Amino acid sequence: MEKKLLKFTVNESPYEIYINPKTLLVEAIRDHIGLTGTKRGCETVSCGACTVMVEGMAVKGCSILAMQVEGKKVTTVEGLETNGKLDPIQTAFLDEGAFQCGFCTSGMLMSARAFLNETPKPKDEMEIRRGMEGNLCRCTGYNAIIRAIDRVAKGEYKEDKK
Amino acid sequence: MSVICPVCKKVKKNPVDCARHMFGTGDKPHRAWFDAQGLSFIDLLLDQATQPGNKSYELVGGYVEKAQKDIK
Amino acid sequence: MSENKYSVLNTRVHNVDGYAKVTGRATYTFDVTLPGMLYGKILRSPHPHAKILNIDYSEALKLPGVITVVTGKEDTLGVRQGIWRRYKDLCDEAILTVDKVRYIGEPVAAVAAVTEEIAEKALDLINVDYEVLPFVDDPMEAIKKEAPLIHEGFERNVNVTRQIAWGDLEDAMEEAEYVREDWFKLGGQHHMCMETRAAVAAYTPDGKLTIYTSTQSAYYHQALLAGVLGLREGNIRVIAPYVGGGFGGKFELDGAQFCASILSMKCCKPVKVIFTREEDFIASKRRTPMYYYVRTGVKKDGTFCAREAKVFTNGGAYTGMGATALYLTGFFHSFPYRWKAYRYDGYRVYTNSLPSTSMRGFGAPQAMFCSEQQIEWIANDLGLDPIEMRRKNGHYEGYEVPGQATIASCGLDEALTKIQEWKKSKGKLPANRAIGISAAGFMSGGIFNWFDSPYSFSSAVITINYDGTVELHVGAQEIGQGSSTTMAMICAEALGVKLEDVKVHMGDTDHSPADLGAWGSRQTLMAGNATKMAAEDAKRQLLEFANAKLGFNIIYDLDIKQGWVYNVARPERGMSYYDLCKEALRGKEGQRIIGRGFYTPRRKGMISPAYSYMVQGLDVEIDPETGYLKIHESVTAHDCGQPINTLGLIGQLEGAASMAIGFGYYEYLPVEDGKVMNPNLVDYKLIRAPEMPACQVIEIDTYEPEGPYGAKEAGEGLTNPHAAALGNAIYYATGLQMKEAPIRAEAIAKAWKEKQQQKKNEKKK
Repeated sequence: MEKKLLKFTVNESPYEIYINPKTLLVEAIRDHIGLTGTKRGCETVSCGACTVMVEGMAVKGCSILAMQVEGKKVTTVEGLETNGKLDPIQTAFLDEGAFQCGFCTSGMLMSARAFLNETPKPKDEMEIRRGMEGNLCRCTGYNAIIRAIDRVAKGEYKEDKK
Repeated sequence: MSVICPVCKKVKKNPVDCARHMFGTGDKPHRAWFDAQGLSFIDLLLDQATQPGNKSYELVGGYVEKAQKDIK
Repeated sequence: MSENKYSVLNTRVHNVDGYAKVTGRATYTFDVTLPGMLYGKILRSPHPHAKILNIDYSEALKLPGVITVVTGKEDTLGVRQGIWRRYKDLCDEAILTVDKVRYIGEPVAAVAAVTEEIAEKALDLINVDYEVLPFVDDPMEAIKKEAPLIHEGFERNVNVTRQIAWGDLEDAMEEAEYVREDWFKLGGQHHMCMETRAAVAAYTPDGKLTIYTSTQSAYYHQALLAGVLGLREGNIRVIAPYVGGGFGGKFELDGAQFCASILSMKCCKPVKVIFTREEDFIASKRRTPMYYYVRTGVKKDGTFCAREAKVFTNGGAYTGMGATALYLTGFFHSFPYRWKAYRYDGYRVYTNSLPSTSMRGFGAPQAMFCSEQQIEWIANDLGLDPIEMRRKNGHYEGYEVPGQATIASCGLDEALTKIQEWKKSKGKLPANRAIGISAAGFMSGGIFNWFDSPYSFSSAVITINYDGTVELHVGAQEIGQGSSTTMAMICAEALGVKLEDVKVHMGDTDHSPADLGAWGSRQTLMAGNATKMAAEDAKRQLLEFANAKLGFNIIYDLDIKQGWVYNVARPERGMSYYDLCKEALRGKEGQRIIGRGFYTPRRKGMISPAYSYMVQGLDVEIDPETGYLKIHESVTAHDCGQPINTLGLIGQLEGAASMAIGFGYYEYLPVEDGKVMNPNLVDYKLIRAPEMPACQVIEIDTYEPEGPYGAKEAGEGLTNPHAAALGNAIYYATGLQMKEAPIRAEAIAKAWKEKQQQKKNEKKK
């Protein structure tokens, strides 16, 4: 199959890559751009380890072809920090120990960031839990992750906001 | 009815209890008795462990009962 | 909770790997790329049992981009290896099998190519001639006289037998005034690590092998690979800085590590093998499925007399760690109670299915599902309070489990009280909702050395730099459980520095001392002891210089805390640790202070030097018509001695709960005709965020003399009680006695329907 040109933005930087049209977005990010923070944990769009943001929306990187983000803005976990300054959600994860092996963490952070962007004031804990339903974690039992998101939602890291 | 274990001569309350004792002990002499009766210790034990009900114990109890007349 | 007397221990700190993990910088084996690296794929057996007659890969070699193909017969030493190295007959697994395949998915050949896609295409071009053999996939079938023999020399496919016994069972049963017997069936479970099995092996022309791999023990894999590759351990370097989960499935040699190594050795290029999620499900290993027969005799007042258990486990195709699971299930089936007589007979049976191995809990979740439900039913049969009955028979400090263990610290009694109080506080619950309780206990590392390691079980080396930063070299493997942070905290506390002064070096056999690794809940106690000893050694050497410098009256002694070296009686008098380090270095002619520590348990019984205790309560709502469960609340009263890593502890307990609830309810892993029926995350159900209950932990304060600062295990023991607690809640809410785990919704609905039908029939009479 002939390779095609893909022009898109990743973490606010423009990229042009020649890829096989079958390439999944997560493969383009990891193997072509070289950003390995985004992981893969399954082949059935089930686990969420590959979650990134496309135009601010949380998307499983294995569920779409890279060509589908032509001209669009993609954000990966590497894009959460600015010149070494962490996003509040990252600091909250550190404060709550909301990770253990860390393999699901990049996807969790992206889902959490997207969720908080859409729902800055969740009405209760269950709304946060439902917002994170797409991300599997085998280590934490989720509760520390929910606590971290809740702390950001409650405005604890206001002064850290960009 | 009280019975005597055909292998070690312990007195047991009834044939099923004796069977339980024989499976429980599971040592060479007891297993050899099973072989002598043409019974498979391991097959019966597996049945006992995996099928609800005490069919294995009851089966072996029957053999114990029959053996009573030969015990001196 | 008592006031914290420590300056670092039991405080909320950032995980030492935190920045790497929350910023996407952590590089797992999954992420490793080396120059000139090839991609390896494994050809797997489609048959559960077959002889390999011939493998023809000539067509595969013709495919452009394919560099090499390997088979067991041509390219390996054919070594049958296993983790029980002391028992040669249990070393039964040649990973790239030579003569025959024994389970669906077993590696038969492997390909290395320049891209993953080409390697996969090449698999289709390899022709394997099999002679298909009859197979058996259940112990009941495998043990029959006419069953096909899976391994030569193992009659009736009985792989291992174990007995644990004390007292005179028959006499003690005679004393019993009430006897109950039940039959249970326990399913398997999959580790389902977020990072699948992974290895990048790089063999170089100088005869050395470097392998990046997702492992629970860098040293075990160094030693196992040496054995199968014919290399010296010292010529193998295992690197594992970040591991995406283990849970008991990653300290045996696996197909990714072996095939990557063999491929790399053949072509002298780096080769990466990563299992797909499907491969991971079908061709790694799983929790051991078991059949349990339990007969328990008690007095009418609830005093435990005797228990007898007969267990058959489904070992799958190879021994692996399954032999240990067979032993531990039998031991923990007696836990945490005193029995006048106890007898466990366990049989592990080979079958042509996915090999069974260790998985968090190690046979104890299966054991507790049976024990803790039966105990509840006995209490109800006799009209006794189930918590008081447990208390009456529980372990206590100083108790000796006959011939097995001495309990040096035990918070069981207080844990029972806390859960009792919680249960009372819940009051009367609405219909179809009930509280289920289960007690449990677990080991803090095993005393066994079936691996035949010549090294201390754990070792640590500490060096102190000019600026006071501390290099801690320890073999404790970080797999997400927080061991690096825990070791850093113990080092900081014992040496007297700040946590941020400590750097942890682990997961690299070139730089970390040999350690048995992360399994059996051993690291906090064993590696922790080694770390504490090393830190105290270094501190003693430092204080020699401090004593000289400060020149206090001989009646005064010194200590170090948070970077301040001080007179213990007059703490305001002293000097900065950072200044001391500079002086000590000069005093030692420019040589850094080195502290050494190590630990191996000796004369600590048959199982473990220490045991944690817990009582778990679940508030569960059941819809009996659908079998749907909702867990409203989870409360655990937990005794792990001295907590060290506060955030780590909470995370481990919540994580254990999620896995335990999975074992009890969600994670059904059916294997039919040797085939795993749901090898993907759509059909294999894991609990997700909306279903996970909030978990409250009540810490029970005890001090374990064998543990560092009194600490013992946390995070594996708590995988044991939830399945039984769920079962007990279902029992109280519906009257149903569920004897199969996982307790499937369909099973609850079916049992409920049958019960309703039975009621109707009885009414008609």
